[in-house]
Amino acid sequence: MDSSSSPRSTVHGLQSSVLAWREGWNRILAAPALVGGVFALTFLLALPLAVMMRQALASHLGASLAAETAASGVNYDWWQEFTAQATGLGTTFAPSVIGFATVLDNVSGVLDARARVAPLAAALALYLVGWAFLSGGILDRYARQRPIHIHGFFAASGVYGFRFLRLAVVAGLIYWWLFAYLHPWLFNTQFDNLTRGMNAERTAFVVRAIFYVLFGAILLVVNLVVDYTKVRIVVEDRRSALGAISAAIRFIRNHPRQVLALYALNSVTFLTVIAVWAMIAPGAGGAGLSMWAGFVLAQLYVVARLLMKLQFIASQITLFQANLAHAAYVSAPVPAWPDSPAAEAIGQSPQST
Amino acid sequence: MHTLRPFAAALLLCGAIVVALTARQQTPVEQPPAAGATSAGPIPAEARSPRNANYEIDARLDEDAKTIHGKETIHWRNITDEATTELQFHLYWNAWRDAESTWIRERRIAGLYQPPQPDAWSSIDVTSLRVRDASGEMRDLSKEMRFLAPDDGNARDRTVMSVPLGRRVGPNEGVEIELEWTAKIPWPFARTGWIGDYYFIAQWFPKLGVLESGGWNTHQFHAATEFFSDFGVYDVRLTMPRRFVVGASGRQTARTDNADGTTTHRYQEADIHDFAWTASPEFLDLTQRFEHPTLPAVDVRLLLLPEHRGQADRYFSIVSATLKRYGEWFGAYPYGHITIIDPAFQSESDGMEYPTLVTGRARWLAPKATQLPESTTAHEVGHQWWYAMVATNEFEHAWMDEGFNTYATARVLAEAKDPNRVESRYFGGFVPWSFRDIPVTRIDNDRLPAFRLNSEADAQWTPTYQYWPGTSSIISYNKTALWMHTLEQRHGWPVMQRIMSTYFERWKFKHPKPSDFFDIVREVTNQGHYWFFDEVYRSSNTFDYGVQEFRSERIDDKTFRTAVVVRRYGEATFPVDVVTTFENGEQVKETWNGQERRAVYVYERPARAATVTVDPDRVLLLDIAYTNNSRTLTPSNGKASLKWSLKWMVWLQDLMLTYGFFV
Repeated sequence: MDSSSSPRSTVHGLQSSVLAWREGWNRILAAPALVGGVFALTFLLALPLAVMMRQALASHLGASLAAETAASGVNYDWWQEFTAQATGLGTTFAPSVIGFATVLDNVSGVLDARARVAPLAAALALYLVGWAFLSGGILDRYARQRPIHIHGFFAASGVYGFRFLRLAVVAGLIYWWLFAYLHPWLFNTQFDNLTRGMNAERTAFVVRAIFYVLFGAILLVVNLVVDYTKVRIVVEDRRSALGAISAAIRFIRNHPRQVLALYALNSVTFLTVIAVWAMIAPGAGGAGLSMWAGFVLAQLYVVARLLMKLQFIASQITLFQANLAHAAYVSAPVPAWPDSPAAEAIGQSPQST
Repeated sequence: MHTLRPFAAALLLCGAIVVALTARQQTPVEQPPAAGATSAGPIPAEARSPRNANYEIDARLDEDAKTIHGKETIHWRNITDEATTELQFHLYWNAWRDAESTWIRERRIAGLYQPPQPDAWSSIDVTSLRVRDASGEMRDLSKEMRFLAPDDGNARDRTVMSVPLGRRVGPNEGVEIELEWTAKIPWPFARTGWIGDYYFIAQWFPKLGVLESGGWNTHQFHAATEFFSDFGVYDVRLTMPRRFVVGASGRQTARTDNADGTTTHRYQEADIHDFAWTASPEFLDLTQRFEHPTLPAVDVRLLLLPEHRGQADRYFSIVSATLKRYGEWFGAYPYGHITIIDPAFQSESDGMEYPTLVTGRARWLAPKATQLPESTTAHEVGHQWWYAMVATNEFEHAWMDEGFNTYATARVLAEAKDPNRVESRYFGGFVPWSFRDIPVTRIDNDRLPAFRLNSEADAQWTPTYQYWPGTSSIISYNKTALWMHTLEQRHGWPVMQRIMSTYFERWKFKHPKPSDFFDIVREVTNQGHYWFFDEVYRSSNTFDYGVQEFRSERIDDKTFRTAVVVRRYGEATFPVDVVTTFENGEQVKETWNGQERRAVYVYERPARAATVTVDPDRVLLLDIAYTNNSRTLTPSNGKASLKWSLKWMVWLQDLMLTYGFFV
């Protein structure tokens, strides 16, 4: 049974959240190849679509003089002509691709449940599947705190991939229900009902903001459970996704302050990254050196976002291991590699020698 | 043209009305107007308009029942040269009486209809109609009233009412009509209705159609049309709970506090053809005076909602800029006052014009660089020229006021709105983001982007009420603004300004038709322009010129042969310049009449050609695809597409990371 009075728990309360947050960064820095790997995934999946977009833009511009102004700045007249004629991916080429509007557009798109064109939806699905597959290796590496090399990484990814797939089915159903039923009920039915008689925009905005917070909080809770489920699957070598979900809920329920404090710390760090990007995000720029400088800066922002995602994972593992990862929670009898990180920890612990 | 006899009669009638109004003003119970209201001014004795449809209205708002009970007396005079034996009235609010009105049917067919809540419907019922007969007695014609559907025969439509007079009203003869009516105020529909304690009340009273030679011009209320009525003197008393701040067409000339806790607000104005009003206890009542060395001063009253308090200066500034420019360009605004309403959220009353009263449009979050409230406010104030004074038939020729005004508004905004940046809105449309790299251009405000997609939707000569509702505004607003800007590009602003000011001067306080404007274009430019109006007005053809081929090859040591093939891709024709530029800087300009499908130019020059452009000065703003108008032999599309695809790639990566939250 889970208990907050774990014998391995050396730190208590909110202090353990701060330590976990710090230790999370240490584990990320100790495994830079993982950052490179997930960046490669994000870059390489986006690249083919960007090439397609480039072809569409180049084809529409042809040998027109409009290209010169489009290269040196913004030719909005051409831009609007392009989107008027565009289909599929081309319709997504909007001013929101400039600077910080990117973040607003994408977060707003998720929270407003905006439909995506088919090629984009396919790319997103592929990206999520890719992450789900790599997550096993990532969690395994951060849990072990030692190099597992590429074969170990992919072996772990393979082992946990199918378990995560089962988890993804459950999580997917929950997210689907949230977006297919709860979201329209909140943002269409209830929002319309509540604001129907409102003649002040700011009041309506407050209602909408409350709904965003409410819906966002539900997403965060689900996300938190899914995160700790993955942690428990990997750290404890759990095979049952449902059992791991149940265990994750127990863990969160028994350590609410630590879990929430860590989530808040990570969220503040994440918002700091976003705020910095809001200040430095480059505008349209030209086509020469400034274009590449802007692109490199944007890739650094992408790396920062990926680091944040990894930090959520690494710090949550740290917190879990600091509280509960001990022999009583490991079912595997023989600690032989590649066995669970917890089993490995037992093998290395003084009691087992 | 009007003869002297009707004019003299108009003067006499006007004099009588002035005497009557002055007599009423002496009633002891009336108080001075409220703070912020403009000072009372007498109805000018000299009529600017025919003043043949004069209304005295006494209306009471029942806030609990959301109804208006009204009595009105109409003094109407036949200013045509034909007699009539009936009267026809608009009862606009019956358009939302049920789902079978023509307005709703058309919206439904166009896919623009969302079934309203049960409490949203409205109605207007005339309970009594009496007409003074030849003997001077009032005759009750209430039982003679019947509904007409002159446009589509829809027996369920009740927006036009006819009453046989039982006698003949000849040219220049008048008739006095008394009506009583009750109207149920709609939940906002088509810019009128109530929401919370905000009321915007327009097209709200039984209103006469326009008698023309050939009969009454009284169209049903359609999904894609606005209104048409004759000029007159309006004297309106509005009674409602005392807590309301009221704005209305005309000047407030009195305010009477009644014993039952209500207040009666009296508004008067002459030479207007409609009357709208608004009421809300929330309004901040602000005033400023527009002054100009050569134009009459105008008292600007702004009824502003508290959530837009910070935008008062933006409102006043754009109103002044519009009064100044329209006044200098087209002619003076003569009323001496104008009321700007800052409409309530979800009231649907934003962006609408009425004589001496307009509604703007503002958002709670509105960065300075964004277009609102300026663009809408400039447009609606501009309608005082193109609608309120030059009063075209919006049922049939909406383009004559909407299009003219869109064209002129774009010109004002290009001069007066700085900074003016493209914005996107996020999070349900509540959160704006202004793009500092993308200025809004005059062509954007001519509304070219939307026109590109629907340039062939309707021929402009089609009566507006027969336009496809979903694209009606594009043909009325966008296409007209673009062809007027094209005329300006072709003839220059001084000529265009003379066209517009001549048209204004000649047709203010009248009802011009398309041919009246075309005649003035011909007169001022001394050119027929038949071909131009055949293309832009009588056809729905698309303009699209482009470069089909462009090659430059060395043929000997000293000579390059350059071949240029320009192409007319669209059906519409327009003369265009074709400019070829060579690497040594030399330019060759050809003027192509644009009639044939293509034109071929071959040059032998000592230098290689660099670029060719069809219509380099962008005269033809109706060209729906300008990108194909130019060609260079050293294209930059590689650089441009690389730059923008990298931007897009970052957007895509960010999108992936955002969705990455879920794994």
